[in-house]
Amino acid sequence: MILIAFVLVSVLALIIIAATHNHRQMNTACIMQALIFAALAAYLVLFQQVPVVSFLVGSQYFFIDHLGLFEVLIATVIFACAAVYARGYVEGLLESGELEKGSLKLFYMAWALLLLVIVLAFFSDNLALFWIFAELTTIISAMLIAILAARDNIDAAIKYIFVASVSMLFAFVGFIFLFEISRVSLGTGTLNWTVLMQHAAVFSPGMMIASFVLVFIGFAAKSGIFPFHTWLPEAHAKAPSAVSAILSGVLLNVGIYGIIRVYAIVHQTTAISTIAPMLAGFGLLTIGIAAFSMLPQKNLKKLVAFSSVENMGIMLVGLAISTPVALFWVLFHIMAHSLTKASLFFSSGILHRQYRSRFSADAADEIVDVFRLQPLAAWGIILGGLAIIGMPPFPIFFSEFFIMLQLGTVSLWALGVMLVLLFIAAGGLGYFVLTTFTHVSEPVTPSDIEPYRTPASMKVPIIFLLALLLVIGIVLPAGGMEFLNQIVTELKF
Amino acid sequence: MIDQATIEGIIRILLVCIIITAAYIISTRNLLSVVSVYSLQSLTLVGIALALWSLEGSIILLAIAVVTFVSKVIIIPYFIATIQEKIRIKRDIEFHYLNPTTSLILSMALMLVIYMALSRIMQGTPARESLFFFGAVLGISLMLMGMMVTFSRKRTITKVLGFLSMENGVLLFGMFVTELPFIIEFLIIIDLIILVILTTILSVGIDSTLEDYHKRLHRFHLLEESEETP
Repeated sequence: MILIAFVLVSVLALIIIAATHNHRQMNTACIMQALIFAALAAYLVLFQQVPVVSFLVGSQYFFIDHLGLFEVLIATVIFACAAVYARGYVEGLLESGELEKGSLKLFYMAWALLLLVIVLAFFSDNLALFWIFAELTTIISAMLIAILAARDNIDAAIKYIFVASVSMLFAFVGFIFLFEISRVSLGTGTLNWTVLMQHAAVFSPGMMIASFVLVFIGFAAKSGIFPFHTWLPEAHAKAPSAVSAILSGVLLNVGIYGIIRVYAIVHQTTAISTIAPMLAGFGLLTIGIAAFSMLPQKNLKKLVAFSSVENMGIMLVGLAISTPVALFWVLFHIMAHSLTKASLFFSSGILHRQYRSRFSADAADEIVDVFRLQPLAAWGIILGGLAIIGMPPFPIFFSEFFIMLQLGTVSLWALGVMLVLLFIAAGGLGYFVLTTFTHVSEPVTPSDIEPYRTPASMKVPIIFLLALLLVIGIVLPAGGMEFLNQIVTELKF
Repeated sequence: MIDQATIEGIIRILLVCIIITAAYIISTRNLLSVVSVYSLQSLTLVGIALALWSLEGSIILLAIAVVTFVSKVIIIPYFIATIQEKIRIKRDIEFHYLNPTTSLILSMALMLVIYMALSRIMQGTPARESLFFFGAVLGISLMLMGMMVTFSRKRTITKVLGFLSMENGVLLFGMFVTELPFIIEFLIIIDLIILVILTTILSVGIDSTLEDYHKRLHRFHLLEESEETP
């Protein structure tokens, strides 16, 4: 029944959006949808026996286990924050004429649909079903990027669709392989993750490698891993900031989630000895490319986008270590990164509204007097930046620290390389903040920039997310840790 | 009933036809004929599905043939042709990185590589009949040839056709290697249709020279940029 509840809530939200012409009502529908989703997920976590078995759930198509719930919880929190943020942000877009009033309905409908599709993707047991939902997330989110109807946006959206969808076809071929592998060893072919997990030990390693590599190509593109990251900075920088937060905080997770699921199957075969070094290599390369792209970056949103690429690399390296502890902290990192990155995109969205140059979205941001004009956003960037580079007491510190500790037990060389690259990335972020935030106009002739009146709804999510991060980082709630442990057990690490 | 050897012969001929259509899509510059060749390619795929059905008798293959015929031979080509008329582009003569000749040579090399790779991977599995192995190799080749089209063409609408041809390759591969549940094949078609609709509509924005689009650019003060890339 619970899945039907999710679908019904979304249908209701879609109907409300379709019926009204008022921006605030549409926005409220989206906020409510995300909050109800979060409440449903919380209910499942607190009061239900996970893995849940009810109508449709636990059949061969859908299931609800701890990993899926964990991802859904992250997604709903980010969606709720982003919807609140969009209330003020989209209002601004409408005023400046960047978003047409006619596109508003499409925007919010795509938004509500995207959340539903993402939740269904996380609850899919059948890998092919998951693949289709993941494909749909690409298409719908590309719509959200293209909604601004500027040439740049359409370009970015098309690039995103093609890079992601073309790679996802490879993933599909990988799943066909997987299906064939299971048919050879089990008699009847299946793509059910739970069944595959039970019998993974007997699968032929050679075919498993081929299958995983193909699947990896697809989901690596979805999560922006080198060399398939090319779409990411552009799409994230051009999208409306509320959407950028979702792209980075939720959609990249869909890709990593797919990799984790299939990796858990591979982990039980001997193919792991080939796959793990490959993952580590791609992870380090991804971190490296991102770090060196961050260094000369002058555009804030692109900088933040490259930082997402870097973090995906960290997750990949953590996954490659394939010890239970490393997996635990990878999961923790997924959560910490999503929350931090969403808050960073919210802050840079405010700065973008304030200083955006009308001629090109690629131009360097001309930021002056930032502490006078947008104090909250400036502090949001500074604190969020500290959080993303892994300063204590923010949660990313713990995940990066423990992942690197685990990496050290495998290879000291890899640890050294990763450490240097992380320093470079942190340096890129720090350099940007130091050089741009210190621009102050002469005190005698204050600059003639009109301060952008930031609506409260754009400020609240930033404060909320930073506070949440601090709480998680300082308290490290025991219940949450237990929850992550259960995921690790379910993945049989 | 036709005997098995004849059907296998027919399938071989159809497979060769598919490769010819793929080569044509890579090399031609006339957009309208790319669409009709795509439609022909899908039709060949339908033929293969039907031939396999008469060989194996699995009802799924028949269903695949019907769905493919409706969606890929009729709906999608029709839709793309309509859009093409709207944006008034007849030819796509711009190529990124690869020109048609190099693409063709490259795809031949790719086929060879795939043949060797697949024969290594499939070594362990129960004896594959040569026909099925042949189909799988050509499926993957078609997929990679489609990918080359997607990345070497500049116009979005040709990129879409490259993607569609890739998807045909996946379908071909799936048909020969294993029997996927029908629901999955069906959902992929739905996904494909949405993707085609979205990208072609977006391509109206990118590829077209419509007045309307310039108006929009004016409003965003972006016209300076549009003159650089007309």
